[in-house]
Amino acid sequence: MTSVVNVAINILLLGALYSLVAIGFTLIFGVGGVLNLAHGAIITVGAYSAYAVNMATGNVYLATFAAAAIAGAFSFAMYKGLIKKARHNPVTVLILTLVMGLVVEQVMMVSFGTQAVAVSSLVNGQTTIAGNGVQNNRIAVFVLSWLLIGALFYFVNKTKTGQAILATSMSEKGAALVGIESDSVYTYTWVLAGMLAGVAGVFLASFQMAAPFMGRTPLLLSFSIVVLGGLGSIRGSVIGAYLISFLDQITVSYVSTRLAGVSALVVLVVVLLVKPEGLFGRELAEE
Amino acid sequence: MCYPLITVPRHMVNDGKENVSSAEDGNLASLDGGRVGRRTFLKVTGAGAGAAALAGCTESISGGSSDGGIPDTVSFGALGPADLPMGDSILKSAKLAAKEINADGGIAGSDVEVLTKDTKDKPGTTRSAYQELTTGKNVDATLGIFGSENLLSVMGNIGQAKTPHLTAGAATPEAPKRVGEDYETNKYWFRVGPVNSVFLGESQIEFAKKKFKDMGWKKVAFLAEDYKWTEPITNVIKKRLESETDVEVTEVKRIAEGTEDFTPIYDELESSNIDGAYTALAHIGTTSLGQWAKQKRSFGYGGIHVPTQLPSFFKKTKGAAISTFSQSTATPTSEITDKTLPFTKAYANKYKGEYPIYTGYSAYDAVYMLKDAIESAKSVDGSTLVSELESISYTGTSGTIEFFGKDGRFPHDVKYGPDLVQGVYFQWQMEGKKGVQKVIYPNDLSNTDYQAPPWA
Repeated sequence: MTSVVNVAINILLLGALYSLVAIGFTLIFGVGGVLNLAHGAIITVGAYSAYAVNMATGNVYLATFAAAAIAGAFSFAMYKGLIKKARHNPVTVLILTLVMGLVVEQVMMVSFGTQAVAVSSLVNGQTTIAGNGVQNNRIAVFVLSWLLIGALFYFVNKTKTGQAILATSMSEKGAALVGIESDSVYTYTWVLAGMLAGVAGVFLASFQMAAPFMGRTPLLLSFSIVVLGGLGSIRGSVIGAYLISFLDQITVSYVSTRLAGVSALVVLVVVLLVKPEGLFGRELAEE
Repeated sequence: MCYPLITVPRHMVNDGKENVSSAEDGNLASLDGGRVGRRTFLKVTGAGAGAAALAGCTESISGGSSDGGIPDTVSFGALGPADLPMGDSILKSAKLAAKEINADGGIAGSDVEVLTKDTKDKPGTTRSAYQELTTGKNVDATLGIFGSENLLSVMGNIGQAKTPHLTAGAATPEAPKRVGEDYETNKYWFRVGPVNSVFLGESQIEFAKKKFKDMGWKKVAFLAEDYKWTEPITNVIKKRLESETDVEVTEVKRIAEGTEDFTPIYDELESSNIDGAYTALAHIGTTSLGQWAKQKRSFGYGGIHVPTQLPSFFKKTKGAAISTFSQSTATPTSEITDKTLPFTKAYANKYKGEYPIYTGYSAYDAVYMLKDAIESAKSVDGSTLVSELESISYTGTSGTIEFFGKDGRFPHDVKYGPDLVQGVYFQWQMEGKKGVQKVIYPNDLSNTDYQAPPWA
């Protein structure tokens, strides 16, 4: 039987990674009202960018920066090229993002092959916490994820651009009245969400591996986390991520390994039926 | 391919201006303005003559087939998911075999061509690809198909087409079961390799009996992905591993398809102090192996692990595969028969240094077995070939291949055993700075001992 401390450590570490995975998805939905089905694909772009740079330079930190930059640029191009024009038609946006997601999978498959590829760990070695060995890489991922989430909170609440993003998410009309240009806010949001997803991709790849279809589970996970936390709420997403991580680990450790990944889906259905607004609803948003 | 000119009834010869389909597209020749099946036509003309004249062959005599049952070009259809290494290897190996056969005089003097089709690893696509080959291209036999689900989706079509099919890739015991249940309909199906998943389970028991003691594996856990192909293996392991060996089995785990994080599973295995994780993994094998290596788990890892069989796997995973082992049909350096190494070398020469994987050995052998069967039957007729294949004993790259008979344990499936097809267990070990797949079992083919993970 796995020790409780061990399970607790896993929940703590994985929750941070899940939060980072989901947060870009939340941002885009919260601000633009867009359900970005290509979110998993952006994660994949990040992972493979990191793989390519890592292979070429051997430097995993450079690879992480490259992943953020390339995924951010990809997200930017997607917004400017596709989404902007169709933004007011949710069905078109849904289809466009879904198609983009599939295209990315195919492109990765053709360019890198179907075999999974490895990205180096950010930090090597192991640390013993309360008698349990934990990979330093996972601790690094935990710390960096929290730093990024903290920075995002700071950015949204304390900077002008961040406040403009927050204002637009509350009311597009209101934001426009006080002189906020919604298009540039959306652009910022897409780039930011893309960069965060890119970094999440590197972390996922360094924790697991990079593969063409690696984005599917994170997309599903984001959906569940964001629905659970309340669509568009950053705080809700972090708490949602921890809840899902908790359920996942408990199921696999104490119930059955045949049920891995199921808890997220069960949560998705239950929340949609029982409390569709999620735990925190959409904070401050106009109804 | 040219044939001796013989007299052909006047009404059957056109003036050479009409569009005559070449042997490449393989089914119909335009004759007398009407459409006559090529094979029917060849039967009438006796020796496939005339076709040469129609195709504009200028050489008058250059040998050729002397019997009416073999067309001037024998065509085989090879099926596999082209984007996956398992499918790619099927298609390339079949092509290579055909090229070699043609360079060596063909099948009873006739040319052989291999038409390849991508199954996309989907049952629907597999079925339409199969139909296109058999009814559209009228091939004389088909081979390949990776993925049990894909194979089962065309079992009905194989019976309808009455065209022999030699499976290379799918391991389900469901296919031979169907042959047994309705022999007349399903008799056209055979499997060249790998051995079916019941035998894979038996092979794992055998390996445990012979090797675990030397490997220091006294306490193990069994990890199988929750897919159909691992069910028979899991049953065999549950029933027999502990009772037939001195090994303590702490648990038999079936792991969900969606599992991305193996940390809690490995934590549990480590807390029960196992010496090794004995596996039956394919689809989720890479994630599982990657995390085991990255987390430097204290136990060994291997059994049946499909991704680690790929010759390029070590490099792709940046060495994560070190010390992992797996059963496989063969490896690029294992001398199972005197045909194994020449095949892997020829493959590497033709395909830029790439090596075949397990499906490739079987597909390559399948083409040669069809050649032998056709030559000895002097016909490409489906039923005749079935009888011929039932009694064949062919030593190929993967061992001596024989099929179970109609009333055998697994009708038309490849037999498993030390003097037949047994497969090998290899381990990734370092040779200088390179990872190499070295055979660790069976002992007569083995060139090294098992090595524990470098960190354990």
